[in-house]
Amino acid sequence: MTAQSLSRPLSSGQMPPARLLRIGATLLLIVAVGLFAAMAPGFATASNLADVAEQSTVLALLAFGMTLVVIAGGPDVVRGGIDLSLGANLGLCDALYAAMSNAGHGDGTSALVAVGAGAAVGLVNAVAIIRFGVPPLLATLASMNACAGLELVVTQNTVLTTDSPLLGIVAGPGALGLSTTDWILVAMTAALLLVMHATPVGLRLRAVGLHPRAARAAGLPVAAMGAGAYVAAGTLAGLAAIVQAARLSGSSPGSGDILLSVVLTSLLGVVFSRRLQPTIGGTLAAVLFIGCLVNGFQLVNVSSYWVNGIEGVLILSVVALRSLLQRPG
Amino acid sequence: MNDQAGEAALSLQGLVKRFGATRALDGASLVVRRGSLHGLIGQNGAGKSTIVKILNGLLQPDSGSIAIDGRQVVDASPRLIERLGVHIIHQEPMLVPGFTVAEALFLGDEPRLGAGRSPVVSWRTMRRCAEEAIASRFGLALRGDTPLDQLGAAERQIVQITRSLLKAPRVLVFDEPTASLVRSEANRLFAIIRRLREEGAAVLYVSHYLEEVRDLCDTVTVLRNGRDVATLDPARTSVAGMAALMVDRDLGAMFPTRSSLPGAPLLEARGLGRSGAFADLSFTLRAGEILGLTGLVGSGAKELVAALFGLAPADRGTLLLHGRAVMPASPSEAVGLGIGLVPEDRRRNGVALDASVAENATLPGLVRFVRRFLLDRGREQEAVRGLIARLAIKTPGPDAPVGALSGGNQQKVSLAKWLGTGATLFLLDEPTVAVDVAAKVEIYRLLADLAAGGAGILLLSSDLAELRGLADRILVMHRGRLVAELRAADATADEILTAASGGAAGSAPDGIAA
Ligand SMILES: Nc1ncnc2c1ncn2[C@@H]1O[C@H](COP(=O)(O)OP(=O)(O)OP(=O)(O)O)[C@@H](O)[C@H]1O
Ligand SMILES: [Mg+2]
Repeated sequence: MTAQSLSRPLSSGQMPPARLLRIGATLLLIVAVGLFAAMAPGFATASNLADVAEQSTVLALLAFGMTLVVIAGGPDVVRGGIDLSLGANLGLCDALYAAMSNAGHGDGTSALVAVGAGAAVGLVNAVAIIRFGVPPLLATLASMNACAGLELVVTQNTVLTTDSPLLGIVAGPGALGLSTTDWILVAMTAALLLVMHATPVGLRLRAVGLHPRAARAAGLPVAAMGAGAYVAAGTLAGLAAIVQAARLSGSSPGSGDILLSVVLTSLLGVVFSRRLQPTIGGTLAAVLFIGCLVNGFQLVNVSSYWVNGIEGVLILSVVALRSLLQRPG
Repeated sequence: MNDQAGEAALSLQGLVKRFGATRALDGASLVVRRGSLHGLIGQNGAGKSTIVKILNGLLQPDSGSIAIDGRQVVDASPRLIERLGVHIIHQEPMLVPGFTVAEALFLGDEPRLGAGRSPVVSWRTMRRCAEEAIASRFGLALRGDTPLDQLGAAERQIVQITRSLLKAPRVLVFDEPTASLVRSEANRLFAIIRRLREEGAAVLYVSHYLEEVRDLCDTVTVLRNGRDVATLDPARTSVAGMAALMVDRDLGAMFPTRSSLPGAPLLEARGLGRSGAFADLSFTLRAGEILGLTGLVGSGAKELVAALFGLAPADRGTLLLHGRAVMPASPSEAVGLGIGLVPEDRRRNGVALDASVAENATLPGLVRFVRRFLLDRGREQEAVRGLIARLAIKTPGPDAPVGALSGGNQQKVSLAKWLGTGATLFLLDEPTVAVDVAAKVEIYRLLADLAAGGAGILLLSSDLAELRGLADRILVMHRGRLVAELRAADATADEILTAASGGAAGSAPDGIAA
């Protein structure tokens, strides 16, 4: 018997709206950038765009971490993977680095402590969520509070100013007229894209998030992979802290405020992916989109409060759109 | 390999598993020998899938032991079991939503670039291997990058089976593999299973198709209420005998005798078509009639049912319901017109797994229980109890979540959901898939009652015995067209299959099991 013809989908449901959404979002991004290019003098220059990337690096690293956690924990906004502690973790690691550095420790030790602290917070989240089954929303809310508290203990709620060779390098110029921070963004993006798309890790992480029972039946270490995502996210927060320390020349209170942007960009990134799923590439696009928005508004002298408002509206519309698209029938 | 034939490849002893008050397994034992095909049968909820899940390490037994190739297995996990060469095709789909065919086939064992263990996946090799693996085993041309959500139930099942076959299994466990396959695909699967046996594999085969079990298996174990009550030689036992052992009583006639004559036309299709799915369909369904409908994958029969229910409306032709021109553009419109659908893929469309049996069973008919804006819980409960009793749904109670029921009992809830609506036209898509014989008899009687009460029933099925035993007439579709209309009373299985596979005279593919 020859190959049978296939039944095509009954309701070609999911795909066309998804594609529409992706094209729409990309168009919006292009329009926004185009508008700023036309209205804001100096927006479309190479140096300004490099600045946007530089200003976006901290957010990007955190959003990458969030993306990993969402992929491995599943897309359900309430019960799925989420790490609310990323912003406070950033603040804590930044403070630790500054304090260590000011106490006379070398760059190696200070950086190791900062990144190690980030990873440790991730591990605590992982143990609470994977081992003890605490809902991610609650577990990371608690560790967010703990991190914010610890940061206050370290800094006494003051600005810590530091300078160190490492920070000098990170904030300084690098190859091709880009800053080292720009290159960190490029390198981390490339590394994560490689891991997630060239190796089996991305595929397996998606399986763990979307259908844990199937992943288990396929012999994947589901718990370890879920835990790994939280630890990776914490480590990324530690790395981001060093970039943050370089940008602020130390640590200052309030870095936890970045959380909303992290949640937004990881949600928004979904609309830039082909299957409406969280991806590193999509998250990067979302981060740069928000970066352009902030930068463009600054250049045309619109208050940055507007940006907060727009971010809120974007979160709501993305979540609403996604729920609409995922509703069966 | 054959020097090992006859040794116990898989031995389960005294398995006990409780879920709260439910005893899913109550001391079940089972030995599968190398080079043999071992059938496992039992009513819905008898504990078959629970055995499979314990074997796989997805569930831990409360007591009892598992031995593979004579070695005791403690702390079974899916990984350990796979390493021992045991591969399982689960009843519930273990396919990740959003994955492509190739990704689903190779998850956890992705082909790498270069020779051997490089960390880099070769997506191209993966797609090619996936296409070849499916084409060579099932003769199905499926693109490796097709998302799973675009596949039908049969195609998804084929993907799942191929996944296990890729791993050169030594022990293979099937939990109702043919439930969503049409005959020709099922026959390919049987050929593959027999070949695996020749090669010395041991196969445990769970199914509700007793004829299939009789023709395929060397030994059959009957499970009742979580205990193995008999192990028999199918060559010396009749299907009726097996059924009687399963339910512990005599079932009597499989199909009800139907006496009523079809009445006035209820549904008339004239030149109905939908581009890319089916074309030029004309037929009449009378009140009180059960009209059978069948066809291979891609025949357009499923699409026709979808069109009648407003899921993917027809774009040509006319449809008359009670003589009035209608064309439901959405399921809610169809329900409003008195049309009910029992979908095949119950996990996706049929029932809400988190909701209770009661909520599921009364959802479409909820309006009937609303009295002055308030839900009349008392009446709802009463109606639900009636349905549970009528369909013999095995559940701890009306409030148990449907997800905790066995596969066949979930299917019954999905049926109950629609049979309670008081619709006049019922569209049934493989209503008895995964349902045990006793429940089948019950469902057939229910359908006959509905017809006798004046309802029209369109029965889409690939179970030929069911079509011949229950329907008045059978419509056969091939490549989107109606190719035959047969009187069920004198249609032979050969006739139906020949028409379904394109009318080419001669025998049906692969020597169909009767
Ligand atoms: N997760 C669970 N929680 C509670 N009860 C369960 C659970 N899984 C199974 N059961 C119960 O255990 C019993 C055996 O279920 P099982 O799935 O093994 O039946 P089965 O023989 O495979 O039936 P079917 O032919 O319908 O697939 C059923 O009564 C079922 O309701
Ligand atoms: Mg079962």
